[in-house]
Amino acid sequence: MTATANGATIGSNVQLRAVTKAFGAVEVLKNIDLEVEDGEVVVLIGASGSGKSTLLRIMSGLETADSGQVFVGGIPMHEPKRAPEIRGHVGMVFQQFNLFPHLNAMGNVTLALRKVLKMSTNEAEAVALKALTRVGMQDRCENYPSQLSGGQQQRVAIARALAVNPRIMFFDEATSALDPELVGEVTSVMRSLATEGMTMVVVTHEMGFAQRTADRVVFMDDGVIAEQGTPEQVLQNPQHPRTQQFLARVFEA
Amino acid sequence: MNWQLIWISLPQLLRAFLLTLELAVVSIIGCTVIGLLVGGLRTVRLRIVAGLARAYVEVFRGSPLPITLLFVYFGAALYLGYSSNVFAAAAVGLSVYHGAYVAEIFRSGIQAVPSAQREAAQTLGLSAMQTFRFVVLPQTRRIVFPPLIGQFISLIKDTSIAFVIGLVELMKAGQAIVDRTAEPIPIYLTIAALYFVICYPLSLWVRRNERKIVPA
Amino acid sequence: MSYQWRTVFEYLPEFLDAMGLTLWITLQAFLLALVCGLVAALARNSRWVMFRLLAGAYVEVIRNTPVLLQIFVVFFALPSVGVRLDAVTAGVVAIGVNVGAYLCEVFRAGISSVARGQGEAAQVLGLSPRQTFASVIAPQALRNVYPATVNNLIQVLLGTSLLTAIAVPELTGVATVINARTLLFVQVFALTLLLYLILSNALSFAAGLLGRVMFKPALDQARPGLWPLRRTRPSAIPVEVSS
Repeated sequence: MTATANGATIGSNVQLRAVTKAFGAVEVLKNIDLEVEDGEVVVLIGASGSGKSTLLRIMSGLETADSGQVFVGGIPMHEPKRAPEIRGHVGMVFQQFNLFPHLNAMGNVTLALRKVLKMSTNEAEAVALKALTRVGMQDRCENYPSQLSGGQQQRVAIARALAVNPRIMFFDEATSALDPELVGEVTSVMRSLATEGMTMVVVTHEMGFAQRTADRVVFMDDGVIAEQGTPEQVLQNPQHPRTQQFLARVFEA
Repeated sequence: MNWQLIWISLPQLLRAFLLTLELAVVSIIGCTVIGLLVGGLRTVRLRIVAGLARAYVEVFRGSPLPITLLFVYFGAALYLGYSSNVFAAAAVGLSVYHGAYVAEIFRSGIQAVPSAQREAAQTLGLSAMQTFRFVVLPQTRRIVFPPLIGQFISLIKDTSIAFVIGLVELMKAGQAIVDRTAEPIPIYLTIAALYFVICYPLSLWVRRNERKIVPA
Repeated sequence: MSYQWRTVFEYLPEFLDAMGLTLWITLQAFLLALVCGLVAALARNSRWVMFRLLAGAYVEVIRNTPVLLQIFVVFFALPSVGVRLDAVTAGVVAIGVNVGAYLCEVFRAGISSVARGQGEAAQVLGLSPRQTFASVIAPQALRNVYPATVNNLIQVLLGTSLLTAIAVPELTGVATVINARTLLFVQVFALTLLLYLILSNALSFAAGLLGRVMFKPALDQARPGLWPLRRTRPSAIPVEVSS
């Protein structure tokens, strides 16, 4: 357990029970049950529109479920009063990086350290440098996002999320906006995090990453979990016809 | 306060308002023609032509309208005599001045169409003219119309500035009544209402159709 | 130099005084416009319906009636309800209030143009809504609105020339007086035009320099160039915002 902003600590597991979510008339999530254990790496796969990103956004507190229970690190996210407790305890990495363009790499990473954890500038920069080193970006501290490649930006975004010492990391298609040759530098950072024991929930289209790094692969289809299991079970030997179709299409491409 | 004054002076104000609208319509046509011409010239490859067009735009966008109006008015007076037409001077001044802004709108509109569109059309075998006519222009229309109408709204309001060269449009007519009656509030309210009923619907249209944006 | 030009240049001190007054009015009115714009933008996003309606009415009425009328209202009509302002102050108030309505819309668009992902990233990092606004949204909004705000500063400058209608001795007013005295309209108005161009370009240039100091990374790196007006001036076509 880690000391955090308000001194409180949270766990590093996730429990979803009967979670539903609709946008207007469209049911995006239909009765989802999912558990992520401490230190586990769960990879969510599925076609676009299958609900996997929405599920991730509910876990990170960016959306609220319409019904059902969501515990993230023990915090009941379905209780509006308590959901904000999650902030600063989980890390989120976005498809579009969402780096702050008016701040350089160092500024991006230190912002939350200074504003939320109330560190002094020196303290914050020391912590940030460690995080940036972890993703191999220690030499680009002064660069602004517009001066970095997509892969470099995403690594800074990972450092920014890591610096506050989150208990769980969420990755929302973190490599989808990258040129193919830049995907590797990001997935290798993600893989090293996984080996260090970080609890991770990863939405991705990178089947190679799922194969090599996931403890469990969850296939989502039309708002439900169609199939889950080890990478070998789901990716090599899928049982559900929709999983087979999906994988056939992915590997054809 | 004499609210009766509104009804008494309304016919007079409406007549002046008609002149304001005539001036606006003539100038809108004028500035659109000038804007199209100058905006087009700015994209011409000939350096001198493009440079002159650009100087035109920069001069009028960096100086106030009254100066242009006074220039045209006194110029006309000098060469055509003091009986020369104030209305024509105002129309020329407004057209020339707003033409510079309209030129920028057309130019930016043309440039806002990604060059990939042009390339795609050319690889399909369309000529430069065909590309402009069938690919670029239709896409420009959607982008250009809201700011263009916005510029026309400015122009309509700016007809009031013909005041400085003595044209008896709505503003001048109203001020004459105010000077005579010392009742500014009812008269100004009437004038404001007349401009508002013309400009507000146009503004609403612009707002509904403009892109989600930081306005210039 | 011809006789005519020499005659007009004898009035140069008057022109320069008038230029000074124009600049002084411009700066005061712009300051007022910034305040009006900011207050109105906040009011339009307020929780209170009353504030939203008032601010909305302010913006619509001002933007859909001529600024000359607004100047007359402040100078000729306000005295009849007991507010008596001298011509310069009336001009500052009228132009400030006028441009404030335009700035209100600029500021609103600036805030809504900051990509939604920015707020989400800040939220997950644990920043409070207030911190998110101050550290993430506002600095980017400021960058976004800077060119349009400078453009409105130029509009203030150009607008001050209308104060000739209420006999303020600013540049246009003084030019018409000297023109009446000398009847050398070409020389008089050419010189006036030149002085306005100097003013508008100097203001843009100064704003451009300020912007360069204020914003890191530099504003608009894509369009380097020496022409100051162009650098700070936004495109006539609004920038489409990625959402």
